[in-house]
Amino acid sequence: MALIEVRKLVKKFGEQTVLNGINLDVSEGDMKVVMGPSGCGKSTLLRCLNRLEDSTSGSIYFRGEEITRPDVDVRALRQHIGFVFQQFALYRHLNVLDNVTLGLIKLKGMSRAEAKRKALFELARLDMLSSADKFPGQLSGGQKQRVALARALAMDPAVVLFDEPTSALDPVMSREVAELMNRLHQEKVTMLCVTHDLQLARQISDKVVFLDKGVVCAEDSIDQLSRHHPDQKIRAFFGQESNS
Amino acid sequence: MQSSQVSFIEIVAQLGQGLIYTLLVTLVCSATGMLVGLVTACMRRLGVAWIQPLISAYTYIFRGVPVLVLLFIVYFGLPSIGIKVPPLLAMALSLGLISGAYLSEVFRGALSSVDSAEIIAAEAMGMTRLQVFRFIELPQMLRFALPGMVNEFTTVLKYSPFAYTVGIPEITKQAMTLSATTLRGVEIYLAVGVLYFSIFRILLWAVQLIELRYRIPGLVLK
Repeated sequence: MALIEVRKLVKKFGEQTVLNGINLDVSEGDMKVVMGPSGCGKSTLLRCLNRLEDSTSGSIYFRGEEITRPDVDVRALRQHIGFVFQQFALYRHLNVLDNVTLGLIKLKGMSRAEAKRKALFELARLDMLSSADKFPGQLSGGQKQRVALARALAMDPAVVLFDEPTSALDPVMSREVAELMNRLHQEKVTMLCVTHDLQLARQISDKVVFLDKGVVCAEDSIDQLSRHHPDQKIRAFFGQESNS
Repeated sequence: MQSSQVSFIEIVAQLGQGLIYTLLVTLVCSATGMLVGLVTACMRRLGVAWIQPLISAYTYIFRGVPVLVLLFIVYFGLPSIGIKVPPLLAMALSLGLISGAYLSEVFRGALSSVDSAEIIAAEAMGMTRLQVFRFIELPQMLRFALPGMVNEFTTVLKYSPFAYTVGIPEITKQAMTLSATTLRGVEIYLAVGVLYFSIFRILLWAVQLIELRYRIPGLVLK
């Protein structure tokens, strides 16, 4: 049984159908990458997975339990699903350490000392220990993304969702984030990443899921999709991105 | 002549008495304004739907009514329908509530400076709306609102002389009495001006200390 199973997921905003019958599985330890052109519904898919958006129809199962039901404890669910955002979304008034401990204290009910120990462990794991006292405004983009990841990992989530994690970063910092994700993958952290950064996709995963107009169009290696896929649009997407 | 018999020490002592009332009126009205402003801004932000039109009406009306008119309605008008309001409470219900209407707008502006991505991130983590407000929005809002709050407290200080119209013997009232008895109006009102300016400077200095203590390193507001 997959950790996350998405079945016939539909999401509409008014008349506009953003997701149109998505099927997707994410198993424990997977590093799954979802790619597609802007506006294809990648971010909406992630937001549906932790119920930041409610789906219009279809089902999502998390550890076998349907989480699209209205009576699901959404806040408890979210504590099992880490989220790393494109723009980092660190709390600007808190230093790095407090950014990581806030959820542990307020949501997991840990004592301050216990939360600090856990936070320092996660920061050390992501090479951010020396910046524990700094504020988000004093960090580079890559460092901010590491802190965002440490904040997500500290909650011991079953899966971490990445929404365009490198789109606000320069190529050097993007590579750093990719290396970090690879390291976490080796540590068996389950991850689902949506991106249109082909470099990142190549660095972190052998296979990608291609999403277009709210539908999963293909799932294969980037080389297969760019050279041998029968759909010219898909070949063009990956070919063009490879050349850029 | 009686005027020459009032010593400098006596003048200072009498103005000092008035100063205590001025500070009391300013403190009570600022605290009322702060409390009302905070509560209304919170209710607006937390989306308590039915109360939104009431809050909008309150801020709209109270920002348009002169302090003195509202003070007279509360202090001289309400007794005619059997409600007697003590002078300090009348100040709180007029100047305090007008200040609350302005502060509500100051807080609303400050809240809009909180990055919406942080709010979504906190919700994605599993926080309740109230937790998001308490731990993410409120601490930032208070920091961002500080300059606007200082402006408002200064305005309250400057409107505090209206308190003498309802019988509170604050600085200006004391100065009027002294001026009448000593005929040294220029020096006395000059001293009153210096006192007001000193209070303003102390307030500013205190706020600068608070700003320094709670500033967010590296933060650049766009």
